[in-house]
Amino acid sequence: MTVIQATHLKFNYGSKQVLKDIDFTVEKGEIIGLIGENGAGKSTLLNILLGLLPAHGAATVLDQKPGTAFNKAHLGSMLQGDMRLSGITVLEMLQEAAAQYPKALDPQAILTEIGLQAQGNQRITSLSGGQLRRVTFGMALVGNPDLLFLDEPTAGMDAKARQDFWQHIETLRQQGKTMIITSHYLEEIQQIADRLLILQDGRFTFQGTLDELQAQHLETVISCRTELQPAIFKGLPAVTNVQQTGLLLKIHSTDGDLTLKALVPLLDQLHQISVTRKSLEDIFIQMTGK
Amino acid sequence: MKTILNQLRFDGKRLIFRNLSFFFFSILMPAGFYVLFTKVMMVTGSSTQQQQFAKTYMGSMIVYSILISAIFGIASILKRDRDQGLLVFLSLAPKGTLPYYISVFICILGINLGAVVVLGALAVFLNQVSLSANQWLNIFGLVILCQIPLLLIGTAMSFIKRQETLSVVSNLVTFPMAVVSGLWWPINMLPNWLQTIGKLTPTYFANNSLSHVLTNGKVDLMNVGGVLAWLGLGVALVILMAKRTARKGVVLDHG
Repeated sequence: MTVIQATHLKFNYGSKQVLKDIDFTVEKGEIIGLIGENGAGKSTLLNILLGLLPAHGAATVLDQKPGTAFNKAHLGSMLQGDMRLSGITVLEMLQEAAAQYPKALDPQAILTEIGLQAQGNQRITSLSGGQLRRVTFGMALVGNPDLLFLDEPTAGMDAKARQDFWQHIETLRQQGKTMIITSHYLEEIQQIADRLLILQDGRFTFQGTLDELQAQHLETVISCRTELQPAIFKGLPAVTNVQQTGLLLKIHSTDGDLTLKALVPLLDQLHQISVTRKSLEDIFIQMTGK
Repeated sequence: MKTILNQLRFDGKRLIFRNLSFFFFSILMPAGFYVLFTKVMMVTGSSTQQQQFAKTYMGSMIVYSILISAIFGIASILKRDRDQGLLVFLSLAPKGTLPYYISVFICILGINLGAVVVLGALAVFLNQVSLSANQWLNIFGLVILCQIPLLLIGTAMSFIKRQETLSVVSNLVTFPMAVVSGLWWPINMLPNWLQTIGKLTPTYFANNSLSHVLTNGKVDLMNVGGVLAWLGLGVALVILMAKRTARKGVVLDHG
């Protein structure tokens, strides 16, 4: 079942064209990793789907135009920037959020889920940036949404809070929730996303799974420690580049299997060998040139 | 109704009961002025004239309280909530922003009615001002009516993009308006050209409406008409500012 469908979506901020011709669909239960550089249009796209910004082209969310009352009741969002309202406790903030939704969850239970049960009676203004981000996540969850838009959800969270957050997302996946997540932590997105949408200069330059993306960027990196000269490896089949840092050698190959076979005669002079495919971050940096 | 009550509970805590600066600026400051000008720096004149002054100055300080709450209060509350993202959050939720606006307006209304009670008590107990039940009822009614145009002006001002600009505009609107409309001292002490301007301000109409009730016991329809005209202008101003902001996109206001 298609949850989101966008066709020829365009958006301008004044004379600047932010989204140029966006086509994509999201199926029920999918977790979409929406990635792109700063200013690529990720937040703008989410804001259009939420009905906060008007766009040219067609977009449907849960079979309706963005921003309808039905959509609002079934949608949770965690935008960038957190509310630091004075005079309000964490629990009161979640209660206020819950009061806005017809099938809201218990705010006290959400408080436990986001790991802030000890801070329930603490004023919002006294929380750290990471804790505040978790409150915003709680506010997105408390309406019991079917579809979640999470814009840089882990910004400001420490490592443990980020780990807990992604575990929570995994639990939500098991509950059948559909999610679109933007994040600069690409190593985390690649673990969780079913599909990736890469937004560059207002267009999607890639839509698919991480495997499909890696297949398009076949390079394998063979790392090892050796006293042999790098020049020996440059002539091996499929090798595109060799980098040396002290004794550590990184051999970039377009066909890992072929290069590995060619390395067999040298094996007793190579130590601590590891073979990795390019990570999402490597590919993203290669694609954007940054 | 339940939605409004929930919202009122939330806003009442954060805007009034846990925010004592509101009491200071909207109630204690006008009350302090009232005591200062009617008991400490007493006006000269017969006892009847002093009684008259004690009554009308109570009206002026009630309007001054309304002005402070509306321009400094509502504009800064709405601006801060918009900057914090509360309005975007509510606009994305099924119940929308209407209960929020109603609740904030009711909070300000409550503060202003509180100012009437405090100033009224001071007038009765310190200056032996005596008013009929009908006069009190008319005052409460007029306070509700007269603050609406000012609340709308405050709402329109909340759309100003920068906090610093809003502070400057708030000061430029509030204090000159208080002076030229005769809230601090009688309008006939001002030069004629300034009186002409002062007599067009919403606070002048509000102050005069209250003065009529306080001195004659009657509602003056001319002044109420002036308040209603400002109400229309306030609505137009809010619509204009809201449309201007909407054209730029709601989320642009969110940090």
